This record gives sequence, C-alpha cells and structure tokens, in this order.
Amino acid sequence: MGLFKRLYDWIDLRIGAREIVKKELTGYLLPRNINEWYSLGSVLLVIFALQVATGMLLMVYYVPDADKAFKSVTFIMNELPYGWLIRLCHAVGSNMMVAVLLLHMLSTMMMKSYKSPRELNWVTGFILLTLVQGISLTGYLLPWSQLSFWATTVATNSAAAIPVAGPYLVEFLRGSKLVGPPTLGRFFAMHVGVIPVIIAGTIAAHLFLLKRTGISTPPFGAKDAAETGAPWQPESYHYQGHPGGIPFFPNYALQDLTSISVYFAVFLAVVFYAPNLLFTPDAFVPANPFQTPAHIKPEWYFLANYQTLKIFPSELLGLSVQAAAMTFLALLPFIDRSPERNPLKRPLFLVCAIGGILLWLGLTIWGHFS
Amino acid sequence: MENDGRRKFLGVCLAGASVAAAAAAAYPVFRYLAPRSDAQGAKKIEFAASDLPEGEAKFFEYAGASAVLVKTSAGAVIALSAVCTHLGCIVQWEKATQDFLCPCHAGRYAPDGTVLSGPPPRPLAKIPFTVADGKILVG
Repeated sequence: MGLFKRLYDWIDLRIGAREIVKKELTGYLLPRNINEWYSLGSVLLVIFALQVATGMLLMVYYVPDADKAFKSVTFIMNELPYGWLIRLCHAVGSNMMVAVLLLHMLSTMMMKSYKSPRELNWVTGFILLTLVQGISLTGYLLPWSQLSFWATTVATNSAAAIPVAGPYLVEFLRGSKLVGPPTLGRFFAMHVGVIPVIIAGTIAAHLFLLKRTGISTPPFGAKDAAETGAPWQPESYHYQGHPGGIPFFPNYALQDLTSISVYFAVFLAVVFYAPNLLFTPDAFVPANPFQTPAHIKPEWYFLANYQTLKIFPSELLGLSVQAAAMTFLALLPFIDRSPERNPLKRPLFLVCAIGGILLWLGLTIWGHFS
Repeated sequence: MENDGRRKFLGVCLAGASVAAAAAAAYPVFRYLAPRSDAQGAKKIEFAASDLPEGEAKFFEYAGASAVLVKTSAGAVIALSAVCTHLGCIVQWEKATQDFLCPCHAGRYAPDGTVLSGPPPRPLAKIPFTVADGKILVG
C-alpha cells in the first residue's frame, strides 16, 4: 500500500488529484432520497464501453465484403477460440443497450427529471436513443445472413413512403437500387466509424449537461434538509447542489456497482444459457438476394414501428404517425411544463404514459405474432 | 478496530474478485487474438524438378514464412529460408551474380545461404528437402 500511496502523492503533486477526487467523487453530493434507477446511466456507459471493445475485437477478423462477410462471421463463431463469446457479447449487448436505454428514459419520464432546467439532458438522451437504434440497424446487416439482408431490405424500404424524395432516399441509403455490396460498405462505415463517434460526442454532451445542471431530486422519498422544494426560476444559471446529501463515492458508486453486477448477471445468462434467443434460423444462412424467406421481421425494438406500418392503409400515414409520436417524445419537456414532478399527483400524465407504454408493448407483441 | 479489520477483509475480497474477473475476461481475449497454431504448421510442399531450371530460384511460402528453392549453375538444389537474418526483409535472387541480395541493407548471401557481405549476422536458415522421381519435396 505504501507504494500506491507514494505513487498517488507523486501524481497529486503534479495534477492535484486529491482536489479532483474531493470535488468529483467524495465531495460530489447526491440527494439523500436518490434511488437505484439513477444508476442506469452508469450501466449504459459500461455497455457502450463493452460494445466498443467487442466491436474492435470483431473487426480483427470480420471482412466487410459481400462475398466474405458471412464466412468471416462463421469463422469467428465456429473456429476462433472464444470467437463465439465475443460475437455473442456484441450481439446480445446491442439489444441490452436498447433495453436499458428505454428503461433509463422511462425512469426519467416517470420521475419527471426532464423538466426545466433539464430539457437539454432529455433531448440529448433522445438523440442517443435514435443513434443507438441507428447503430443497431447498421450492425444488423454486417453478418450478411438471410435475416440481416432481408430485415435491412424491409427497414430501408419503409423510407420509400416519403413523398417525392422517398425512392431516391432508399437508393441513397442502400447505395444501389436493392440491398447489395454497396449497402454493406456504407453500413459498415456508419457502424464502425461514423455513428460510434457521434454517440461518444453526444454522451460527452449529456454528461456535461448533467454536471452543469446538477442531479435532479427524485419526487419520492424524504427530501434533503436543505431542499427548498421551490421550482427553478429561469432568471439566471443555477447549479442544483445537494448540501447534506450522500457522497457519490463510496455511497452511490456502490449502487452503480450493484446495478452493473445485476446487469452482467442478466446479460451473461442470455449469452451462456440462451445464446440463440435473438437469432432465428435465417441468421445461420448466407444472404441470398434471389430468395426472400417467409415471415421476415425486424428486431424486437422495431416491431412496434413495423406493426404500425402494417395497420395503416397507407405507408405514408403510418410513417407520419410514427414521426409525430417520436417528435412528441423528443419535445416532451417543452410540452409538459407543469412544475409538479410527482406522477401520482399527475393522474392525466400517468394515464397517458401508461397508455403509451401499453400501446407500444401491444404493438410489439402484435408485430411478433402477426 | 474490529470494523477496520472487516473493512480490510472485504476490500481484499473485492480486489481478489476484481482480479479474477479481469483474468476471466482477459484470457478469452488473449486466446481470440493469439496466432493460430494450426495455421503455422509446416506442411510438406512438392515441386516438379523440371520447374526449377539451372541458375534459377523459386520463392514460396513454407511454415508461414517465405522460403526459396535454388538450383545452382552447377546443378545443386538448395532450400533456404528467404528471410534475411539482419532485420527480416525478404532476399532477392540475383541471377547475373548467382547470389542472394537483401534489398534493405545490401546484405549478400551465397546460394548455399552463407553470408558474403553486409550486415547479416548469420547465414540463411536451411530447410530440409528430398529429391526423388523427378520431384522435390520440401519439409
């Protein structure tokens, strides 16, 4: 321990490490009634880091060429030592990232943490959701299996419903009239080069906003002694501190660690005990542009969108409804301006929120079985 | 004091569990990235003796590295590693002078692999081969 202390002293002398630790960790106080839902952001950071690490490892052997992509993925899965583990961690991790992101947004919505002055936190979070959907969609094509090929065909084709520019947009997305080698090239570039950088930048912006506004107080549980309960007045910048609160380190860092451990338990249970949960038989057949498999469907988090397109008689109407719902969700903090943050005191909001979630779940289940 | 002991014990347990978890994650990554031993295997390679005229050299891949088969103007066949013993560049066969030249730092080797001039510290490694029934079997 003496060596660590001497090393720490040496670093501290040069960069003031103790001051940073005090300000950002032990002296960073959080509301006393903070709950475990607040740790989902840390879980997401870990998932993103794991996706980057496993993605880099996959890139060592993956070949982004339509003639070789499927073979290279098969080689990773069947011949390389632990290739299956790294590939499954990446594939399952992408689904987990969407699921945890949705839970994170749901908890933010239920605890009304998006309210003023945290509108930008919500908006950057919403942008992250769309980016994560984008990175999942582009990554889905890369194995070049029947499943990935035809799911991408269906997904990109939905843009054709946009008036005037639609057909050109589809061709632009694909790089050719149909999904083919040019699509693989651009989806690969987006998946490994463009979107991860934008996600990293947006995460940085999200964390910056969190640090500048201060963490919100949950609407449940005993408030801090110093909490006035008075809503923020948009007259001048104000950092919401929590004097008398609990320190981030070690108190809440342990909660973060607990949530991360629970996440890993679920994640690894899927990887080890249900590795084929997310793969249909079409995922194990190389892409054949001349043979569409029956009942091709997108991933679970796009099933509600898929079913919405099927319900409406016109694709344009279906797309418009989805665009309206997404815009409403993105602009929620600007629409819901009531200062009350306890959902139990907002029955109308609670009914709308639960109704929206049930509708999404219903459409997802319907999409799965339709 | 008792609390301090418990805290230290739990800290040691946590550190141990973290090291075990890190090792459990690092081992598959190491195995995944490690060169595959079966790909490096030295498979025997066969050439027709008529494919190698006198005074010529034939380069090929052997055991995952570059190798060369040369038939001197005197008719002797020699199989060598084509990797220069100086800094690992691949030597070239100079037909006019009947020797090997390393283009990186001008090391020169005789057709039997011995160093003639330049910086190489050792001769080119010899590779076993047999000649029978008009065929050269390397390896």
